[in-house]
Amino acid sequence: MSVEEVTQKTEDLNINESTVLSDKDFQLKHPLNTKWTLWYTKPPVDKSESWSDLLRPVTSFKTVEEFWAIHNAIPKPRYLPFKSDYHLFREDIRPEWEDPTNAQGGKWTYQFKGKTPEIDDLWMRSLLAVIGETIDEDDSEINGVVTNVRKNGYKIAIWTKSADNKEALTRIGSKFKTVLKLGEEAQLEFFPHSTASEKHPQPSLVL
Amino acid sequence: MIRYTEEELFQLKPVSDLPVNFDAEEFRAIIDKVKEIQELQEEEYQQFHRRRSSHHHGRPKIKHLKPKITTDADGWSTFEAPVVRRKSTVVGAGSDDEVAVKEPVVIAQETLKVKPNNKNIASTRPADTRDIVADKPTMNFNAFAALESDEEDVED
Repeated sequence: MSVEEVTQKTEDLNINESTVLSDKDFQLKHPLNTKWTLWYTKPPVDKSESWSDLLRPVTSFKTVEEFWAIHNAIPKPRYLPFKSDYHLFREDIRPEWEDPTNAQGGKWTYQFKGKTPEIDDLWMRSLLAVIGETIDEDDSEINGVVTNVRKNGYKIAIWTKSADNKEALTRIGSKFKTVLKLGEEAQLEFFPHSTASEKHPQPSLVL
Repeated sequence: MIRYTEEELFQLKPVSDLPVNFDAEEFRAIIDKVKEIQELQEEEYQQFHRRRSSHHHGRPKIKHLKPKITTDADGWSTFEAPVVRRKSTVVGAGSDDEVAVKEPVVIAQETLKVKPNNKNIASTRPADTRDIVADKPTMNFNAFAALESDEEDVED
């Protein structure tokens, strides 16, 4: 075959330019390390409503794309009514300190007093740090992340599996402080869940 | 372990909103309803359960100046009329009022003398110890006896 013939045959080749990626139904999704469940605590509007009635799972997701879809579809913390909570917990862990996975753990918590216009951004940064697993270098010490919407301000807390691993907890607390954009003067406090029923619990760690 | 930095997660953020696997409309409707109920409850609370001052029961506090009364050793009290407070007024520069304001204020220092202890008037007790002496019947002078006395005749 001459060079001209090869060139002609090559030009005649009908290359199908469409690939599996150009299919509209095909969407490449980026998996997360674990499944996450979003919970919502509805504020009580009737005295007959109990805690179990108010705390409900909203949805679960396993990929980055699903996370963004949910995040864009739900109201942000600043829009929520007072006494609302959002909880994002790993797998099927219930956002309660009585849950066996939480029972031996605790929480790093910080209260933003007043209106806190940047709360939506701080909550999103907390979510990204948790689902991206960048807040915990070693292992899956993080169980979940919670925000409480109250009249006097907002709280954001990270729930951990253990309450006695001081070294690991301090590393998590330091990163959490950066995520929340807290200065040196701000105090991040760690409370073991074992003290949750006490009237005036004292933090076991302060950063 | 699969990890994503914040920047990586932002890069993976879809340009358009993707469908979600739950009824987001219904979820938002619940939140809107709760907010509406909370606002109504707050309005009702403000209307019917507003906290009042336990001291004044809502009435304005008016401070009455007490008149100054001084009582002397004899039991006479002197009532001093309180000085009337001049209300502050905004006056234009150079106006007659301004001149008037600058003039020294002459406050009448009139005093009223009142006999105190009204309660004693109605009582059996005399108001003043000197009255006891004055009211005491004198046994030294008898008017009828005086009329009949020979002294007048002598004078005539």
